[in-house]
Formats: sequence, C-alpha cells, structure tokens
Amino acid sequence: MRIKRSVSLYSYQDEYYNHQLDLEGCLRETAKTGATGVELLAEQMIRRFPLPIEDEAFRAKWFGWLKQYGLEPSCYDAFLENRIFDNRTLTVKEQIKMMERDIRLASLLGFKNLRTLVSTPMDVIEGSLEYAERMGVIIGLEVHAPFSLNSTWADGYLELIHRTGSKFFGFIPDMGIFCKNIPDVVREKALRHGAKPECIRIVDECYAERVAKGFVKIQYDLNLGKANMEYRLANGMAEMMKAVKKAGGGPADLAYAGESFTYSWSDPQDLIDNIAYIHHTHAKCYNTHPDYVETAVALDEVVAAYKKAGYDGFLSTEYEGGEHLRDAFEADSIEQVRRHQEALRRAIEG
Amino acid sequence: MAGRQIFNPDGFCNVTEDGKTVGFSFAFKAQYYRGFTLSILRDIAVTVDDENFNREDIRLTVNGETFTLEECRTVIDPDYRWEFGDFATVTVLKEGGLSAGSHHIHAHQSIAPSYMPFTIEADCDADFII
Repeated sequence: MRIKRSVSLYSYQDEYYNHQLDLEGCLRETAKTGATGVELLAEQMIRRFPLPIEDEAFRAKWFGWLKQYGLEPSCYDAFLENRIFDNRTLTVKEQIKMMERDIRLASLLGFKNLRTLVSTPMDVIEGSLEYAERMGVIIGLEVHAPFSLNSTWADGYLELIHRTGSKFFGFIPDMGIFCKNIPDVVREKALRHGAKPECIRIVDECYAERVAKGFVKIQYDLNLGKANMEYRLANGMAEMMKAVKKAGGGPADLAYAGESFTYSWSDPQDLIDNIAYIHHTHAKCYNTHPDYVETAVALDEVVAAYKKAGYDGFLSTEYEGGEHLRDAFEADSIEQVRRHQEALRRAIEG
Repeated sequence: MAGRQIFNPDGFCNVTEDGKTVGFSFAFKAQYYRGFTLSILRDIAVTVDDENFNREDIRLTVNGETFTLEECRTVIDPDYRWEFGDFATVTVLKEGGLSAGSHHIHAHQSIAPSYMPFTIEADCDADFII
C-alpha cells in the first residue's frame, strides 16, 4: 500500500482566525489539494467543545462533509488539559478519564488515531490503553522538536509498548525534527524586528554545526521546562548566546537564537528503526517555495525513509509558517498547503 | 505592513450604566491557535495612554456572560470558552470612561495551556478613537 496524504486543519488557522474559512471551508480546501485524509483539532474548530461531538445532528453533518469532499479522518489532535485549574494538576485518574473522553470523541468522529502531547504522563497513557483498544483508537505520542526518536526519552515509551504488548500506542513524528536549517521565514521575521545579519550568521552556523555533529538528545522529565533547558545547554546554547551578545546582539537577535532550538535534525533512519510504532505523521512545513521546495525540512530524504520502511499511514501537512508572518503580512495557508501537498505527492510517487 | 487583526476596530467605546459612564470596553481575539476554557486564562492587563488599571477592575465577556479575572479561574463550561478567532469583550471600570479623541491601548494576554512549560504572553497594541 502506498503512503497516503492528509492535511491537518491546523494549517488553515490564519484563514479560520480571519473568518475566511469555517470548518467546512477547511475541508473543501483540503480536498482541493488532492489529500484524502483530514486531521482535526476539535478544540480549534468545533465551538462549544466537546458538546457538538456528542450530538448526532452535528456528526451527521461531519460525515456528510467527509463524504461530499472524499475525505477520511486521519488523526484527532487531543489536548490533555491536565492543568485546567491553576491550583493543581489533575490526578492520574482524572487525567485517564479525560483521555478516555478524548478517545471516545475521536471515535465518534471516525478517527482511528489520536495525537497526545509530550506532557502526557506515562501512567495516563498506560491507564488508557485498554479503553483505546476497545474503541479501536491508537494513541500516538507526538515526537516534536526538541524531542526525538532513538533517545532515552523515547526508550521509556518503548518499554511501555513492550511491557504491555499494546498495539494501541505509538509515536507520531513531527517533521520539525528533520530540519536541515532554520526556516527562512523565521530569519526574515528576525531581520524585520531589527536582528543584525552578523548575529543571524552566528546562529545559523551554530545550527549547521549541531546538524553536522548530531544533536545531543533530550532526556525524559515531566518537568518539561527543566528538560528543555538542559537540552539547550547541552547543545551549546550558552556559548552561542555569548557570541551573539559579543557581536552586539539585541532582543531580536537573542529571540532568533532562542528560537533556533525549536528546530532539530534527526537521522531519517530513526523512522525506519521505529516504523512498527509509527501510525501517523505530522508533515510539518514552514515555507514551501513555488518550486515545491520546503525551506527547512529535508522532505525527500524523510519520505524516502518512510518508503523504505514500508509505511502505509498518512503524511499530514501541518503548515506552521503563518506565525512568522502575521506580525506584518497575511499568511496564505491555502497556497502553502497546496504547494506542500504537491511536494509530498512528488516525493511519494517519485 | 499590515499584520493580522487582533482588536475589533468597531469595539472601542465608553460603557454607560444608569446614565453614568462607568468605564470603557474593547474587543480582541486570543493570540493562541485553539479555543480554551477561561480557567487557563491567567491574566489580561490593560494600559491606555500610560494609565494602568487594577486587575479587579477588568471584566471579560464571552457569549453574553461577564466574569472578573478572578472568576475566570474556575470557568470550564463549554458555553464560555474563548473560541478560536472570536472576539471577547473586555470592560475596564473607570469612572467617567475615556475622554473623547485619540488613544493608544496596550493589552497583554497571558494564557496557560497545560502542555506548555511556560505561558503564552501576547502584547496587543492599537490606536483608536472614542
């Protein structure tokens, strides 16, 4: 079976924000790109979440749209709001109930994959596995930069998979972990905000060095702030910041330097090694040029790895470049998604 | 250069109760990519022409219901989510309201999605006329 293409409606957030597209409009645009899958953030585009999903009339409308536009539900992106109150974290049991609610909501809308975030405690995943299996929904942990496969962080989750023998938990790689360089739109934003070309050069060279040497991988720690800071320091942040300051770097330069750590490079071989646990993928993109070349993600190498591994799940476009434009311009997510889908098509079929 | 719209350009006005001007209001969109329960809204801070206002004097109206920022901490009802792309109205209590004419507003949003190790801090600025 061939790799399938999907669009995460997250991609259309700028048009949705501006009320240029509603949920149905996003589905219509998705279908126009030739994608056959759709990924949904229910909390983004379904008002009064989660009530409408419980409502048969809403679901009839949803499935009617899917039929009309020839789309299949690929992945439901859940947000485990385990700090919904500011004075405590929900207990593990409360979190499992919330996860089971989301699994049920995903299932009601026809999704067989549910994305959960790295902040989800392992006990909560383990406690939800039986229900996930009953509902036929696979929980996928998003592997988003600065996290990576083939790391001590991922080992903990593999141990869970092996110990429980569950087929209902795996990984959802986000292609932001396969960035060969910092996206051009991030660099242009920094320059717009007054960054100095000399400082940009220092940061870009440090990034290139990390890619060449290999990133030091992040450790497992539910204290994500601490884990992230240790990861940054292990990857030379202090030295880089010092160099940027020495070159006269101001706030825009330091912001660019800090942002450089939100991208990373992993060897696409990681995908092949872990393919048994990968059921869905976020095909992250930042700026796909008119010649269908993505500014940062090594798309051809990554798709080649998926093909070699025999992956038959979805590659789901997740356009995220808009956030680097919207201080000054209107994003054109529709065109960006179109280009990225074409880039994916060529890589898959080529 | 025109970035995306945050404030409702038609939303700036003084607020009158029983014939007295008790404050002013404006409407803006949350600078986050999904709707959320008001319980994860940590703060809204407002400055108009260098005048700061007390947190206790700020009210947020969503779907026809008005809450203080303190009350927002426990609001989890689906009817009162701050929906993605929707304006919420902020009312600031200030006797006499704002003077007629041009003003500048700086409004700060602080939102705390559970999965993030830090809060989203958004600075929103606009010039407007009362």
